[in-house]
Amino acid sequence: MKKLLALLLATVMVFSLTACGGDSADTTEPADTTETTEPSGTDETTEPSGTDETTEPADTTEPADGETSDETSGDAASDLAYVQDKGTLVVGITDFEPMDYRAEGSDEWIGFDADMAKHFGEYLGVDVEFMEITWDYKVMELDSKNIDVVWNGMTINDEVLAAMSVSNPYCLNAQVLVVPADSAADFENLTSLEGLNVAVESGSAGEEAATALGATTIPVQAQSNTLLEVSAGTADAAVIDLLMAGAMIGEGTSYADLTYTLNLNDAQGLPSEEYGVGFRQGSDLVDEFNTFWTEKVADGTVMAVATEYGLQEAVILE
Amino acid sequence: MAILEVRDLQKHFDRTPVLENISFSLEKGQSVAIIGSSGSGKTTLLRCLNFLEKPDSGTIWVDGQCIFDADDPATQREADVRQKRLHFGMVFQSFNLFPQYTALRNVTLAKELLAKAQPDFKQNKRAILDEIQAEGRELLARIGLADRADHYPHQLSGGQQQRVAIARALALHPDILCFDEPTSALDPELTGEVLRVIRSLAQQKTTMIIVTHEMAFARDVADQVIFMDGGVIVEQGPARDVIEHPREERTRQFLTRYSEN
Amino acid sequence: MESPLIEFFQSDEFRTVLSALNTGFVTTLQLFFITLIGAIPLGLVISFGSMNRWAPLGRPLRYLARRKGSGLAGFWKVLAGFRPISAVTRLVVWVFRGTPLVLQILAIFYVPGMKDWFNWPSRMAAVCAAFIVNYACYFSEIFRGGIQGVPVGQQEAGQVLGMTKWQIFRRVTLLQMVKRIVPPMSNEIITLVKDTSLARTIALQEIIWMGESFLKGNQGYSGLLWPLFFTGVYFLVFSGIVTVLLGRLEKKLEFFR
Repeated sequence: MKKLLALLLATVMVFSLTACGGDSADTTEPADTTETTEPSGTDETTEPSGTDETTEPADTTEPADGETSDETSGDAASDLAYVQDKGTLVVGITDFEPMDYRAEGSDEWIGFDADMAKHFGEYLGVDVEFMEITWDYKVMELDSKNIDVVWNGMTINDEVLAAMSVSNPYCLNAQVLVVPADSAADFENLTSLEGLNVAVESGSAGEEAATALGATTIPVQAQSNTLLEVSAGTADAAVIDLLMAGAMIGEGTSYADLTYTLNLNDAQGLPSEEYGVGFRQGSDLVDEFNTFWTEKVADGTVMAVATEYGLQEAVILE
Repeated sequence: MAILEVRDLQKHFDRTPVLENISFSLEKGQSVAIIGSSGSGKTTLLRCLNFLEKPDSGTIWVDGQCIFDADDPATQREADVRQKRLHFGMVFQSFNLFPQYTALRNVTLAKELLAKAQPDFKQNKRAILDEIQAEGRELLARIGLADRADHYPHQLSGGQQQRVAIARALALHPDILCFDEPTSALDPELTGEVLRVIRSLAQQKTTMIIVTHEMAFARDVADQVIFMDGGVIVEQGPARDVIEHPREERTRQFLTRYSEN
Repeated sequence: MESPLIEFFQSDEFRTVLSALNTGFVTTLQLFFITLIGAIPLGLVISFGSMNRWAPLGRPLRYLARRKGSGLAGFWKVLAGFRPISAVTRLVVWVFRGTPLVLQILAIFYVPGMKDWFNWPSRMAAVCAAFIVNYACYFSEIFRGGIQGVPVGQQEAGQVLGMTKWQIFRRVTLLQMVKRIVPPMSNEIITLVKDTSLARTIALQEIIWMGESFLKGNQGYSGLLWPLFFTGVYFLVFSGIVTVLLGRLEKKLEFFR
């Protein structure tokens, strides 16, 4: 379904591309190559002199484009400049406790990700604006510049890596199997989900894991909707994030009769998942972020914020 | 001088000729009946006179003035055409009353719109509208429908609707009143009331062109009769002569066929 | 038996959810009315476009044919009858009626930014643009049917009474057309009420988005199912009001046939 949609959109874009003579098609690719071919030694410092030096060879390898060469050399650097120029970092989120959410009766976005985003804004010297998005369209939100960063407990996988530039991992997560509490015993120590109807969020890491373990998947729009499926008996089980499962099921929720049993990462013999922050492809904000994070780990800010939201076990401090 | 003169009118639809070499004239105060079988071009001729169709060639003269010349685009300008149409009044076979207006408003609407275009309308608005209203009521009284002024068309019988349509055409005081088979869409018992109105108009010396299938009516009411067949005028002359003593074989056949039915 | 229900209505949960749903519903209403206000006139323009009879090749081709002493046939006849304005508008109408509104919303919102043409000032603006164009296309077909459904005789009656084209449209055709289009428009407008929920695909926070938000987690509540279904009440009430109003309009126009 999602592939089909992407295909159609691609067709639309091909049409619009041919319509405007393909003038903007070349901007991302050179930026990409300069990014990957650059020696990583310059990563740590963002001094203007450093970037000047590295962009010069990039300039010479790029043919033509004489009068715009300044801008293309700035292209890798332009995302930071772009954000600082408009003075606002727009952070794409969904309501996802404990990463990005609002406390009862409050309009302010809080959570581990939200609080760290505010620190990042401070670090860059810009305001931070939180923008709720539809998760399926996060890449388009980035590419169309409606947001500048996806920062919402995003699991790093091939799909994400192919479409965005992603930060170093900052947090760990796993996929868990959610089942009705009264039949939890039946699901313990499973090594395969074959023959089970499992609700998953379309395009999520959970979908990948469930498919890998042989489940018949029922893709729905959001992780929360998967719980609805289990609760209504239209699915045998659901696969969602551990962090989300902690927040959404059990006592005091609409899903008091659900529980989670199985760590699918363990079941597959895979390491835990890692969360990353996503930026536009080729954006220099990635380096900026990694530097920022290292700094905040060093001064203890990261740990302090993680502890506030109960993530002291999950956060990565390397 | 003739009030209306038509010279050499020609009209084709695609490549089928529907009017060929149509020439006739009409004196003020006279009425002419056009007869002929369906498809003979009678209705198209009326529509050409009312600028609902554009002839391919020929000229139309009203009161000695050329109002249409197929070879002269200056006589066909949209803005002028609207004015020229007012020489003619038209009564349609299917009435074409405006369903959303009362009988009275059907009669007065066009006049009000014309009055509004006058420069002094704003100052004398009330008086002008009152006068138009009064005139409309008078017209309805003349056709015997004074008590139906506030009825909507769908509340009237077919005969009554056609009488309102006649009043509507009269309201603009046209030089020539055209009837396109005014009774063909009516039940037989309703034709009488419409024919009576037309008859009384003839008695009042209204200049009229009446396309009709009612032979007896044409003979009794019209001064002239034109017989058309296949897009040409086959025979024309005084009504009684043409209908009672046709000279042409085709006219004779048509009339015979008609009296048989 | 009543007291638990009343207690629930007075609870913080109910109040929080209700105020969020109200906020979402205001967005829904904005989208609804802006779409109507924009799509009705635009639909009229499009319907005139699709009925446009301008055929620029007709005159020269017929002239050439006449000089050669023959009539137009086959390919040349088709070419002479080619109406570019009508053809282009009909193509646009086909595209917008033939593709899902969701795709149009996504394309209209994301593509300009991805191509660096411009950025929408807000999600609402982009969604409104998509809805207006989409609904204008649907409306235009209804209008076209309405206009063409008014007998030609009405127009001719106006013409012979010396009315201008505008007077004929305004005084004669318009109301008859309105009477014809009210029933199909009612259907379309009720559909619009419900279609507004598609706006949430690009995260416009209309009422369904708000209802779903309490499932995922919003303002300290998560896993709440009832708010989503409770939005149905808003839709029912609103479409009920719209139905009654349009029904009244239909009644009002019954004075003539």
